[in-house]
Amino acid sequence: MSSISPFLDSGLVTTPDTLALVHLSRDNIQPVYLREGSGSVDGYAEGAVINTRFGSFPHSTLINKPWGSQIRASIVDTGSRGRKKKVEAEDNDTEGTGAGSGAGAGAGPAKDLKTASSGFIHLLPPTPELWTTSLPHRTQVVYTPDYSYILHRIRARPGMHIIEAGAGSGSFTHASVRAVYNGHPRTTEDRRGKVWSFEFNEERYHKMKQEIEGHRLDELVQMTHRDVYNDGFLVDGQSPEAECVFLDLPAPWRALPHLARRKPTPSQLASGGLDCLGGSDSEWKSPLRADRTVYLCTFSPCIEQVTKTVEIMRRLGWMDIETVEVAHRRINVVREKIGLNMPTERGVNQVPGSVAEALRKLKEVECRSKEFHSQDQDTDTDTKINEDEEALNEAGQGTEDAPMAKPWTAGRLVHRTEAELKTHTSYLTFAILPQEWSEEQEAAAFEKWPCGKENKVIGSLDKEARKQEKREMLQGKKRKKPQNDASADAEDAGAGPALKRSKAT
Amino acid sequence: MHSLVEPNAWVALKMPAGNLRVLEIAPNTTISLGKYGSFPSNLIIHRPYHLTYELQDKQAPETFNRLRIVPASELYSDILSSGEVSSSTGEATPVSEDAENAVPTGIEYSLVDPDSGAVVATTNRAELDASARQTLTMEEIEELKKDGTDSGKDLIAKLMLSHTAIEQKTQYSLAKYKLLKTKKYIRRFSVLPLDVALLDHWLVEEKDPTRVMDMREEMIGLLGCWANVHFGGEERCKTDVLTTGGQDEVEQEHGQDQEEQEPEQSTGRWLVVDDTGGLLVAAMAERMGVLYQSEKDKAIEAQRKARLSKQRPHEPGSQPTAATDGQSDPAIKPAVGQVESEIKVEIEDQDPTRPQSPETNKKQYNGEGRQRWNDLHVPFSQTNTLTLIHANSQPNLSTLRYYDFDITNPSQGQTHPLAKHLMTLSWLQLLEPQLDSTYNSELPTATPDELKTWKGTKRGTYHRKRRRWAKVRHTIDSTRQGEFSGLVVASSMDPVSIMRHTVPLLAGGAPIAIYSPSVEPLTKLADCYSVARRAAWVAHPPEEAIGKSIEELEQWAGTDEFPLNPSLVLGASIQTSRVRKWQVLPGRTHPVMTSRGGAEGYVFTAWRVKPAEGKVEARGKARPKKRKAEEVDQVGQDGTGS
Repeated sequence: MSSISPFLDSGLVTTPDTLALVHLSRDNIQPVYLREGSGSVDGYAEGAVINTRFGSFPHSTLINKPWGSQIRASIVDTGSRGRKKKVEAEDNDTEGTGAGSGAGAGAGPAKDLKTASSGFIHLLPPTPELWTTSLPHRTQVVYTPDYSYILHRIRARPGMHIIEAGAGSGSFTHASVRAVYNGHPRTTEDRRGKVWSFEFNEERYHKMKQEIEGHRLDELVQMTHRDVYNDGFLVDGQSPEAECVFLDLPAPWRALPHLARRKPTPSQLASGGLDCLGGSDSEWKSPLRADRTVYLCTFSPCIEQVTKTVEIMRRLGWMDIETVEVAHRRINVVREKIGLNMPTERGVNQVPGSVAEALRKLKEVECRSKEFHSQDQDTDTDTKINEDEEALNEAGQGTEDAPMAKPWTAGRLVHRTEAELKTHTSYLTFAILPQEWSEEQEAAAFEKWPCGKENKVIGSLDKEARKQEKREMLQGKKRKKPQNDASADAEDAGAGPALKRSKAT
Repeated sequence: MHSLVEPNAWVALKMPAGNLRVLEIAPNTTISLGKYGSFPSNLIIHRPYHLTYELQDKQAPETFNRLRIVPASELYSDILSSGEVSSSTGEATPVSEDAENAVPTGIEYSLVDPDSGAVVATTNRAELDASARQTLTMEEIEELKKDGTDSGKDLIAKLMLSHTAIEQKTQYSLAKYKLLKTKKYIRRFSVLPLDVALLDHWLVEEKDPTRVMDMREEMIGLLGCWANVHFGGEERCKTDVLTTGGQDEVEQEHGQDQEEQEPEQSTGRWLVVDDTGGLLVAAMAERMGVLYQSEKDKAIEAQRKARLSKQRPHEPGSQPTAATDGQSDPAIKPAVGQVESEIKVEIEDQDPTRPQSPETNKKQYNGEGRQRWNDLHVPFSQTNTLTLIHANSQPNLSTLRYYDFDITNPSQGQTHPLAKHLMTLSWLQLLEPQLDSTYNSELPTATPDELKTWKGTKRGTYHRKRRRWAKVRHTIDSTRQGEFSGLVVASSMDPVSIMRHTVPLLAGGAPIAIYSPSVEPLTKLADCYSVARRAAWVAHPPEEAIGKSIEELEQWAGTDEFPLNPSLVLGASIQTSRVRKWQVLPGRTHPVMTSRGGAEGYVFTAWRVKPAEGKVEARGKARPKKRKAEEVDQVGQDGTGS
């Protein structure tokens, strides 16, 4: 059971030595590899500890908890440890807790943990989406709106083999493993979904490899350190036999000649300004699956890259070429609190919410100024003003109290786009390469499915044909009924009486 | 998906103008493409997908049009040659706006099909009135269309030649004119597999977008990813459990088979609410690998059908149900006559879930597939399942017919993967199962002797009833136990009401993804989980919630102030996404000029969490800016470091 990656089956509770994601806020999610162990780690008596701005959390408080659990912060001595070891604490925003137990904490063995008075986090199981939010950036990341659309379009489904060139930060790798996963291969012959990932940068390659192993995905992801422009996509001479391809490369057109069913002819490449490939035609081994259509997507930020890529695609026989860009927006939902009777909060406009409210305020002001100026005048007007004021208060009472009740239900519910937008990530260019179909195959298929004996027309019919079909159908029904019936003369009679008679008998 | 077009498969024919025709390819029929002509269906059966065909002229003795595969080089010859011209002349490719000013050379050869006689076009600044310049009359064009020679290329060339103003057209308007005419008259098409992406494209762009709630491909992708829907583990059927001992059997009789199983059994189960006629179910099933029948299963199914249809003519007098019943008798009789456990053991030995030899196959499918089991056997897998909750008494899954699955037909075989992996129940069955007549009824039982005296039809009904009882029982009980791995919703119902009843059924950390064509229902839902409300729930819990345990609060019925328990869900957010297509042609690259409007489409995402017991204090103030947070952290670090 433990061999399955937590990304694919996290189980119901957290277990040691797996990845968990600590949710601090929407955009602040921290990956943690949970470690068990009673000894002190890094100077912490409690074993491994993660420190966040919401407090400190020893791993022991995080293990064997149901996923999604809310975990309270513990009182952990972070202060004295830093002084002793002369290492910088990572994030020391734990003033309250540090003071609480700072004095007595030594290197004592697994002491009883005390819960801090405040602070909590939530533990979430790893998914490619959470990982994408939290992962250490090495290159530009392919974010969820892009990869979800790409994987949908290139038909990355359970059991597929997918080539990914330019592993980068690994967000697409994780998403594509999930898409193609359909179990671990039991034997070497057992073909299961697999990701063939290629990375040119050596440092990134090693980091990725480490990450993939840490996430227990190494059986499903074949990492290769490779310059795919020159060396193609075969791994140890073996073809990945991929049905899906994703190229996140600066010059995808230079990798495209390797992704062909047959060795591209020099003329195909020369006209596109590319060098010839080495090796002879007979030695050519395609990295693509021979008996399936191959779906391809390239990911390029500049339109010049796209035009160049598309030109080469056309020369190499890719079909259904389509370029799109994905515009993604996150929506914030807020309560717009406008009105004179709204609670005074920061950012709340104390302006009237309606004409009536404005009018009332103006009248109020007017009344007051009149009152101020009429102090010397006779009582006639005074009573009138009082009456006015009373009327005002009466009218205002109904609206004044209701919204005051609960601040989280006050105001009008509105939505707006988030403050910072990713207006352009990259252009996605999709294309497909149908399988090859030879004359012999065509002849064999024609042999098996001979033509000329068509008995029906389907598809778009003109009005006349449709009428004819209906007529035939009705006639067919007519004929069927009497056949079941014993009486032979039913055919001569009209449909109505014939039916009645057959029922009667 | 299959590598070749199977007979009777649903496919989409893509026409030159880009529109799709969805068809079931029956063998030995003629497929009509309307004005483009027709061809025999056998010419595309067992041929690969995605090839571009051209209708050829009829050859003398044959009564049908043959097809020719158009190579890519021919399809792109126009575009590629136009690119070459501009590059060979050494000029920078002109931008379309400047085109008319930037062509002093006068003559462009670029855009003409070399086979159909070179049309020389000069570019000119003269204003064009395109509609009046075609000298071919309507009748003449019709005549040419009827001739249908050379797949329409002839016609297009003639049209261009007889255009009086062709010399006045710029390179670009000429290209446009040719493209327009090509789309209209060329007799080309390609055959595409009707997978979920294409089906959705067709439903949204051409058929009826409102029926699928305007759910575009972007939204399907987002829903599937955010709900983390994926292959949920190897199929595990009841058979595995049965071997453990007799005790299980007794429990299974009472339909309480799940309880004592280890919790890991329940991974990979997703909960779906679908008002898109099954499109969402199909999309999720595709992600889980249970939408398409494998080639082996399909062959078995076809065999079964063939055998059934063969047998029927032999017994013309009897009704079809009787025929199948008679057939299945040998499989049922032992079950009836003996102790039930015995037959189970027997079946166990045969290992019927994964047919290994053709011989065992034969044996099973002789007996109509499903009937090889004891009536009370639950046909559903334990993992990798979808559970659909529907608002009417029957689910609407009409879209699944394109994948050869019909939920309303209980007699269809178990060969389709959805039969084992898709469970359905109504809101009534979920929330108040005691009111459901099937769930509430007693299991009909009859002694073997009684059974023997019954007629075939009566016995058939009896077994059908028992099977249905077991299915319903299992579905309701396992769903009400919860611990689902995720929730996916595309429903016209208020999401707040859906969340109230489904969130408690989710396992901790399970993702939630809800689609809505418009944003308002989702803002209302997101507001239920607003920061202010969450804080208020902890700081000043409503009177009704005081003194209640966490379990009781999970079933929070909702008040005006707190329509939902805000502590059960984390990270509520709303997003939207839309793709914009680009035209990429040498020197003419720009976003496409028009696209479909309508509902924008929004996705709400969140996670199910488990709140800690008791009062939980938050710490620190929410810091609005990231930079600020970093600064503060820096200060903190310096403070301890020195």
